[in-house]
Amino acid sequence: MKEQSLVSDYIPILIQLCVAIGFVVATMLATHLIGPKRKGANKLESFECGIESEGNARLPFSVKYFLTAILFVLFDVEVIFMYPWAVNYKTFLHEMGMQGFFSMVIFLSLFLVGFYYIVRKGALKWE
Amino acid sequence: MNAIIALSLLGIFTLFTGIFNWRKAMLPIVVIGLAGVFVLNGMDYFTTPSWYADYTHMVIFDRYAVVFSAALIMITAMLFFLCKQYYQKEDNNISDIYGLILFTLVGGMLMASFSNFAMLFLGIEILSIPLYILAGTKRLEVTSNEASIKYFLMGSFSTGFLLFGMALVYGAAHTFTLDGIRQYTDAHAGDLPTIFVAGIMLMLVGMLFKVSGAPFHFWAPDVYSGAPTLITTFMATVVKTAAFAALYRLLFYTFGSAKPIWFDALWGVAALTMIIGNFSALYQHGVKRMLAYSSISNAGYLLIGVIAMNTHSANSIFYYTLVYSLASLVSFGVLMLVTQDNGGDDSYTAFKGLARNNPALAGLMTLAMLSLAGIPPLAGFFGKYYIFINAMENGYIYIVLIAVANSLVGIYYYFKVIVAMFAKDTAPTKIAVQPAYLFALVVAAALLFVLGIFPDWVSGLMN
Amino acid sequence: MKALLAHIEISPEIHNGFTDAMPMLMAALILLPFLGFVFNFFLGQRLSKTLSGVIGSATILGSFIIAATFFAQSISGSFTSHQVCLMDWIEVGKYKFSFNFLIDNLSIMMMLIITGIGFLIHVYSIGYMHHDEGFSRFFSYLNLFIFFMLLLVTGANYLILFIGWEGVGLCSYLLIGFWFKNQEYNNAAKKAFIMNRIGDLGFLLGMFKILDVFGSLNFSDVFSAAGGFTANDPAIVIITVLLFIGACGKSAQLPLFTWLPDAMAGPTPVSALIHAATMVTAGVYMVVRSNVLFALSPFTMELITIVGLATALFAGTIALFQNDIKKVLAYSTVSQLGFMFIALGVGAFTTGMFHLMTHAFFKALLFLGAGSVIHAMGGEQDITKMGGLSKKIKITFITFTIGVMAIAGFPFTSGFVSKDEILLADFQHGKIYFILATIAAIMTVFYMFRLWFLTFFGSFRGTHDQEHHLHESPPSMTVPLMVLAILSLVGGFVQFPHIFGGHDYLNQYLSPVVTNTIQEIEGADKLEIEILIATCIGLVILWFITKKNYAVSEFKGEYTGFKKVLADKYYVDEIYEALIISPFQKMSAFITKYVEVIFIDGFVNGAGKVAQVAGSYIRLLQSGHIGYYLFAMVISIVVFLLLNTIIHF
Repeated sequence: MKEQSLVSDYIPILIQLCVAIGFVVATMLATHLIGPKRKGANKLESFECGIESEGNARLPFSVKYFLTAILFVLFDVEVIFMYPWAVNYKTFLHEMGMQGFFSMVIFLSLFLVGFYYIVRKGALKWE
Repeated sequence: MNAIIALSLLGIFTLFTGIFNWRKAMLPIVVIGLAGVFVLNGMDYFTTPSWYADYTHMVIFDRYAVVFSAALIMITAMLFFLCKQYYQKEDNNISDIYGLILFTLVGGMLMASFSNFAMLFLGIEILSIPLYILAGTKRLEVTSNEASIKYFLMGSFSTGFLLFGMALVYGAAHTFTLDGIRQYTDAHAGDLPTIFVAGIMLMLVGMLFKVSGAPFHFWAPDVYSGAPTLITTFMATVVKTAAFAALYRLLFYTFGSAKPIWFDALWGVAALTMIIGNFSALYQHGVKRMLAYSSISNAGYLLIGVIAMNTHSANSIFYYTLVYSLASLVSFGVLMLVTQDNGGDDSYTAFKGLARNNPALAGLMTLAMLSLAGIPPLAGFFGKYYIFINAMENGYIYIVLIAVANSLVGIYYYFKVIVAMFAKDTAPTKIAVQPAYLFALVVAAALLFVLGIFPDWVSGLMN
Repeated sequence: MKALLAHIEISPEIHNGFTDAMPMLMAALILLPFLGFVFNFFLGQRLSKTLSGVIGSATILGSFIIAATFFAQSISGSFTSHQVCLMDWIEVGKYKFSFNFLIDNLSIMMMLIITGIGFLIHVYSIGYMHHDEGFSRFFSYLNLFIFFMLLLVTGANYLILFIGWEGVGLCSYLLIGFWFKNQEYNNAAKKAFIMNRIGDLGFLLGMFKILDVFGSLNFSDVFSAAGGFTANDPAIVIITVLLFIGACGKSAQLPLFTWLPDAMAGPTPVSALIHAATMVTAGVYMVVRSNVLFALSPFTMELITIVGLATALFAGTIALFQNDIKKVLAYSTVSQLGFMFIALGVGAFTTGMFHLMTHAFFKALLFLGAGSVIHAMGGEQDITKMGGLSKKIKITFITFTIGVMAIAGFPFTSGFVSKDEILLADFQHGKIYFILATIAAIMTVFYMFRLWFLTFFGSFRGTHDQEHHLHESPPSMTVPLMVLAILSLVGGFVQFPHIFGGHDYLNQYLSPVVTNTIQEIEGADKLEIEILIATCIGLVILWFITKKNYAVSEFKGEYTGFKKVLADKYYVDEIYEALIISPFQKMSAFITKYVEVIFIDGFVNGAGKVAQVAGSYIRLLQSGHIGYYLFAMVISIVVFLLLNTIIHF
């Protein structure tokens, strides 16, 4: 591995950056230029299935949505840890013996304890 | 290490005591548990740290870590003695608050014992995230909410800098372990690549935010004065101690030989922190906000200990943080009692005449203020003395001059409290104090006195 | 220089029964007053006043007896200088500090003065404070003061000295503000504290410098190492000037003297003990203790002489036209302290100590006498409202008269002998010093006579109630007065001029510790006689002048012209107010106004208000102020990185 990296090493990254930005800019420009333009009061209003919209769209809604969403993300991410572990399970067993198994048991039990806590706290209850 | 595991389990267990409604047992469990953790931690003091190779050198419980952890555990335990009276009106989520405090402590211990940047980051996050929530535990008070969200926003902002710094350092040194980075620093001292220097500086920014060093202190006064006082106490004591433990460990164990790089910056921050903290504290009308600024100025004194960085620095920083924590505990403790029944009025006038009907509280507060002001023979004096002498040994005379002048300024606003308490005018009525609460305050005040007379009892623990 | 320093080294330990017992005795000496403090502080309110007073006094008596034992043993020669280590204390890096105490002739002398006069004043206080509700609190503070004062004079290193130094400052603060219900008294207490801290800053820096130069704060190490330095070595000059700044604060010298007159707000025994006899002389003691260092710095010595002389004159002129009995005595104290510093400055260290001792006698006497007068007058301190008291309160009158004689320098009283020595030393140093010091001494006579005539002669000028109330004080107050009167009369005999058949007992006693740098005075005997004659003539003239003006039945006490400037103390307080205090307050107000109000309060309070109105908090977060914080942080980070880059590249 080279200790010192040169500026030239970054050129591919630079090119990719340019292409990415270029693509976005080009597409936006193109749609803007090619697309039909019809301006009018009705056209600028947000579309609500033909019904006239009332009030602000940015209404506060129940915190339970957030709670559920964040809990989902939390457990979802934690489950991701199990993939590499499962894939490499045989190697683990070979190298570390039962320790490789028990570390996942500990992880899962903490996981379950958390889940149990959430349920008991009523965080998933809707009403 | 066993202590951290045990403490984490204790935290989880505490959460469940709330679910199973073991309300009466909750506090005893926590306190006894903390005592157990203290003993487990103390056992590590006598073993050689190499035993932790099992944890792939993620943490190392050397004497530095053990001693700081012991102080953190002790102060937290004392805080729990104050909890019952402070949260007596809170009935629903008390177990969650206790659990969060314990998790914060876990983070603090990791910050004292990390030997890998990953653990430093994890420690800081484990410490901070519960704190963001704790700052908002007075849910019905708008100030508490404000403190919480401000702390969260500013905290995550600064964490970004810390991470960015770590990434840059990793980019240069290709490792996260303290040993590895240290070897890299030693090998390249005097000719460090810019990317590495930038990494150090950005990490410093992140850490200075945590210790509330000026000009990264903007969050501190608002958060301290907005958060529930008990949590403010926690932030001023345990969190500050942990932050300094981490800062010094980081600088000493990894960037020690790169001292010329960060010395001037930290010197300036130390001076600025003291000056801004002290002069802003002078003109506060509320005691709580005054104590918040006092906490900032004390961070300035501690930074002098950090930049001195010789064989005695760790000890003197430890002594100072311990003593400062004890004095803060007492002063915030009395403040909580005074504001408990008067609708939260924490101005100096609320303290007027306290000595008449509550002589014990006034006495405790006086001791704490005298210690903070650095009047011998109280421990606060030796805290400053050790720090200053330490810096003098390296010949840093100007920063010591600034510090001495600042500590003279500080005397004014600490004495303002004492003068108010012994004023004649209107006196608050007798304040009801639970025995456990008073016990913790008395123990802390007694320690201030004893440690002032026998500073050697704790000042040599790391040798 | 080596020969001069030889005496510093602690003499080889002579082991006898007494030196073995010394640690115990030393501990008892110091801890007895502390026990008295603890007892009175925690239990005092539950005890009867008598018991609490007796305990307070008895502990001091115990200490006095121990000090007397030390004195007897030092005279008999069982030891000359003995260092007692009560315990090891702290280690900081290469420095080590212990609770070491030094018992030598200098500290024994101070112990005797502190505990002896301290005991008398404790006894006096039993009578004086009897009606006060804070009786036991008063005694606890007094005992604590004695404890710290003993630490100050017995410590064997600068650190212990400093602890005592700060401790007595604290006690002084507590006792000046003892009647804390009066806001003016509290302000006086604060002023004393702050002025002292300015001096303390000098002392602290001096200590740091000593540590830096010598690597130790122990007297024995420092003084023996000082032999390696030549005269006027910059390091030594810096150290001594800094130490002297400390002494200026504690001993109320120019320009840090204004706190002492205000300190008279405390109860009168406090004025006598702390602000006349003991604490204010701590600066003198410290300079004498460090005489080896000061002798190496002629520059500082000259500075001390000039400051002392200026203070003596300045305070003396102010005292001329004061109308408050305690204020006169206070300025007189400042002036007399100036005399002590003159003596130190010209190198006559033992003379300074001698005047310290005699001044302790007669000034304590005068203050206690004034206290007795105030007691009789029912709290009145204004001498324009007194007059003709000589017949009403006889014992007070006689003892006070002796005090006035001593301070005015009636031949062969203690004050005459000690001042006479100072004047002689000045004469040796330079004629101009002699003349100026003589003028200061003449002023002393004038204002003391004025005070005396106004108080005790003429006719009574107070109200009818006061006249009816006049009475002699109880024995617990008059007995200490008598003892002090005797001491004031004969105290000078320990150091009597040769020409009058005296001996140098005090000089000889202090010689193992203190070396005077002033040479033997030529023609001293002749000068002595001249001074005696001049004194007699001066006293007679001043007697008639003051008698004519002040032994009167009507006295307004209002002045015009330059006299008014003097009566208003040269407006020093006002000048300090204008030059230092108000700019400082303005600066702080500026910081408060702009930094605090605009940047922090402005945003937060504004936010809070809108929060109440709008009731929605989250929206506020986007309305600016946290944005400001983040913005400030980003700017700070940029500056932080930029500065660091500029410094290093």
